[in-house]
Amino acid sequence: MTEAVPLAPPRRLPVWWMILPAVVLLGGFLILPYASIVVMSFREASTSAVYGDGFTIGHYTEVITDPFVWGIVWRTVRTAAIVTLVTLLLGYPVAYHLARTRSRWASLLYICVISPLLVGLVVRTFAWLIILSNSGMANSALKAAGLIDRPILFLNTPLGVTIALIHVFLPFVILPLLGNLQAINPEVAMAGRSLGASRMRTFFKVTLPLSMPGIQAGAILVFVLSMSAYVTPAMLGGTKGRTMAVLVVQYLVDNFRWPAGAALAIFMAVLTVSIIVLYLRLTARAMRRLP
Amino acid sequence: MTTLRLDRINKFYGTLHILKDIDLDIAQGEFISLLGPSGCGKTTTLRCIAGFEAVSGGSIAFGGRDMTRAMPEQRDLGMVFQSYALFPHMTVAENLSFGLEVRKIAPADRERRIAQTLEMVRLTGYEKRFPRELSGGQQQRVALARALVIEPAVLLLDEPLANLDASLRDDMRFFIRDLQQRVGITTIYVTHDQGEALVMSDRIVVMNRGVVEQCGSPREIYERPQSLMVADFIGQSNTLTGRVTGREGELYVIATEDGPLRTHGAPGLAGEVRVMVRPENIGTAPGDNTLRGRVVKTTYLGASCLLNIETAAGSRFTTHAPADSPLAPGSEVTMGFAAHKAWAFAA
Amino acid sequence: MTGARKTLWDHVFTLLVALIYIFLIAPILLVVLLSFSGGEFLALPMEGVSLRWFEALFSNSRFYEAAVHSFRLALVSALVNGVIGTLAAIYVIRFAPAHLTNPLRVLMSAPLMVPEILTAIALLFFFFEVGVGNRWSMAIQIGHILVTFPYVFLNVASALFNFDRSQEEAARSLGANGWLTFRRVTLPAIKPGVITGCLFAFVISFDIFNISLLLKSVGKNTLPLELFDYLRYNFDPTAAAVATVSIALTFVAVLIVDATVGLRSLRF
Repeated sequence: MTEAVPLAPPRRLPVWWMILPAVVLLGGFLILPYASIVVMSFREASTSAVYGDGFTIGHYTEVITDPFVWGIVWRTVRTAAIVTLVTLLLGYPVAYHLARTRSRWASLLYICVISPLLVGLVVRTFAWLIILSNSGMANSALKAAGLIDRPILFLNTPLGVTIALIHVFLPFVILPLLGNLQAINPEVAMAGRSLGASRMRTFFKVTLPLSMPGIQAGAILVFVLSMSAYVTPAMLGGTKGRTMAVLVVQYLVDNFRWPAGAALAIFMAVLTVSIIVLYLRLTARAMRRLP
Repeated sequence: MTTLRLDRINKFYGTLHILKDIDLDIAQGEFISLLGPSGCGKTTTLRCIAGFEAVSGGSIAFGGRDMTRAMPEQRDLGMVFQSYALFPHMTVAENLSFGLEVRKIAPADRERRIAQTLEMVRLTGYEKRFPRELSGGQQQRVALARALVIEPAVLLLDEPLANLDASLRDDMRFFIRDLQQRVGITTIYVTHDQGEALVMSDRIVVMNRGVVEQCGSPREIYERPQSLMVADFIGQSNTLTGRVTGREGELYVIATEDGPLRTHGAPGLAGEVRVMVRPENIGTAPGDNTLRGRVVKTTYLGASCLLNIETAAGSRFTTHAPADSPLAPGSEVTMGFAAHKAWAFAA
Repeated sequence: MTGARKTLWDHVFTLLVALIYIFLIAPILLVVLLSFSGGEFLALPMEGVSLRWFEALFSNSRFYEAAVHSFRLALVSALVNGVIGTLAAIYVIRFAPAHLTNPLRVLMSAPLMVPEILTAIALLFFFFEVGVGNRWSMAIQIGHILVTFPYVFLNVASALFNFDRSQEEAARSLGANGWLTFRRVTLPAIKPGVITGCLFAFVISFDIFNISLLLKSVGKNTLPLELFDYLRYNFDPTAAAVATVSIALTFVAVLIVDATVGLRSLRF
């Protein structure tokens, strides 16, 4: 007595077309172009065209043996390391506060954290240009407080670039940490306290280790961003605060040395990745304890 | 008349055999519970019936029509989910309206049926609320109303009370059962709570490790289990192993370490068997069967007192005594139970 | 850090955190404040309050053209990504074969992981390599779409991921077919993700600098480029007025997000 109903349409409709535009975009305009930098970096330089025909590793040897380049590399790495460390130190308390606060101002505080992200880099750097100039607010305030007689030179120095970068990238360390800290069950810390550990001890033995993934994510993000920052060093750094990204753009735009610029860019990327890998190796022990 | 028939349903996840030859006939208007520990396959069975899982073998028929491979929306089911799965962006009325709109019911009709159903679940006046503005119990009733308003052939409930607190859960048991009987809808109810299954069902299907252990009325399941798993899973039980040595009319005579017992039992028993007695059926006076033992532990339960008793042969029994019972640990005690309150089944 | 009672450390901590919040927001407020300056200089205290620098700005056709250019780039980026980013997220979360899910997720968020300056250089070389150079006005637009793509993808993907799929089963059990279920139940559930993603794509595109610097067509500046160029030779409150206008625009977008879907649903 059973009669069949019309069978269901096949369950797997052909749906791969949904991903097609995205794959074209990313494959055609991200993967291929990155391949083209690599190709470019091995081209001969040319005076009549942007690059010559031959194959050479000369640009790499030139970059690696140039003490002038190394000076800038060292300054860039040092700046990025300082920026990463300071943003972590400043960002952690903010993330912790925002994760735990029950204040009705929480939304406003959250806007404080994300708004620098949404305001363009040029605008934010411009703000620091105003604050850090010789007659700017930072120097006026320090002078008024009697801490200095002569203005400190912030602009056109690595110091000014570092200060501005800390501000520019601080949200990038707060947000991953915030997500991470919110995910930690507050009862875990309470358990620590109930077992007799002091607040400090509970923080360092329980909360801090559990927030390592957030610290890692924030630190890596800020380091990568600082290593490759262009706008801020270009606007505030002058020649003394010049970083690798600024140098690369100079090669490309001002000096029209494309193959050498490509080699320098790849060198910058490889260096960044190497430092991160080294960092992950060194912190692997701390991460292993995590669930 | 059979509304729903499962015929040798099998389900594999890769090499895992999740459901093994599940057979089930459900009559019009019946309330069936699928009961079992987690991982027994009860939810998978329900999802196969609903069409969210494709069966690996066997067939499912609704009212005589084969629906084994029909899409969920072709099956004319109402389903209540454990998480309720209310549409958060729709009001209560819109949630109920959804299924009616899909069925192209005229607006006036829709409104009438929504109002009727909301009244049935006692939520009149809540039409314009959003799910997040309701309590857990109210959300639960909206989910029920949404499933009922389309007047489906079968209502499926997947542990609908699991997320409610205890007192509300007790109320909802009676509420759902009462509603089901008023509407007269065929209902399949998945639960791991034996109390729920006993109170609500016409029939209980006890499942374990992908097979149906036993299927019967709550009374059958409770009083005449067919296996140790069923005896243990539903209610508290005392079981003894023994051997059938003879018959006395309706009764079996079974030799155990504690002496011969007279019990009734499943027809045609022979050889190794188990004897089960519920704690509430054991008294502290001699009966058809009399055992002697020593109280090991007493537990005060409020209305009564739970006694743990050990016999000379080492068998352990639990039984109830009045709350003011003078029996203390160490005291000797006589236990008795009627032959028709003891049940034997194949070991 | 709450305990039974407030200790000295609580107060120190609160003060410290307050100072960091001020550090975050003060520079931006300063720029906005100075744009209303009545004087000639970007300095405090201000010499009175006026709108003269906004007048100066609006009579400057270069800034106006740059703003229009930026607005168009951002709008197109948001709309294009709203479609292809949403489709991609649905495919990756719902339909992709299991072994492709993770590689696809990595690929889809790749533009966010690699430094923007490097992507800009790569695209510059690539467009020369294929022979269109920077004469092609689409080059900069493609760069903007590429860099803002992950914002839509990630927001929609996370909305889909957090979505309770039993809602879809409920709709199916109520008789809705797959497409109707998607339209009436799934799409409304992921709409906040799509809106957030698109607004993000818009805001980020409006602020992009490196891509624009290297891929712009000759003579066509975006607003950040125009501001950057202006500041090379000028240092007056007109620049602050430009900044204020672009900040205002951003905040309108943020307020839309907050009003429609709530700020905390944002993903970076």
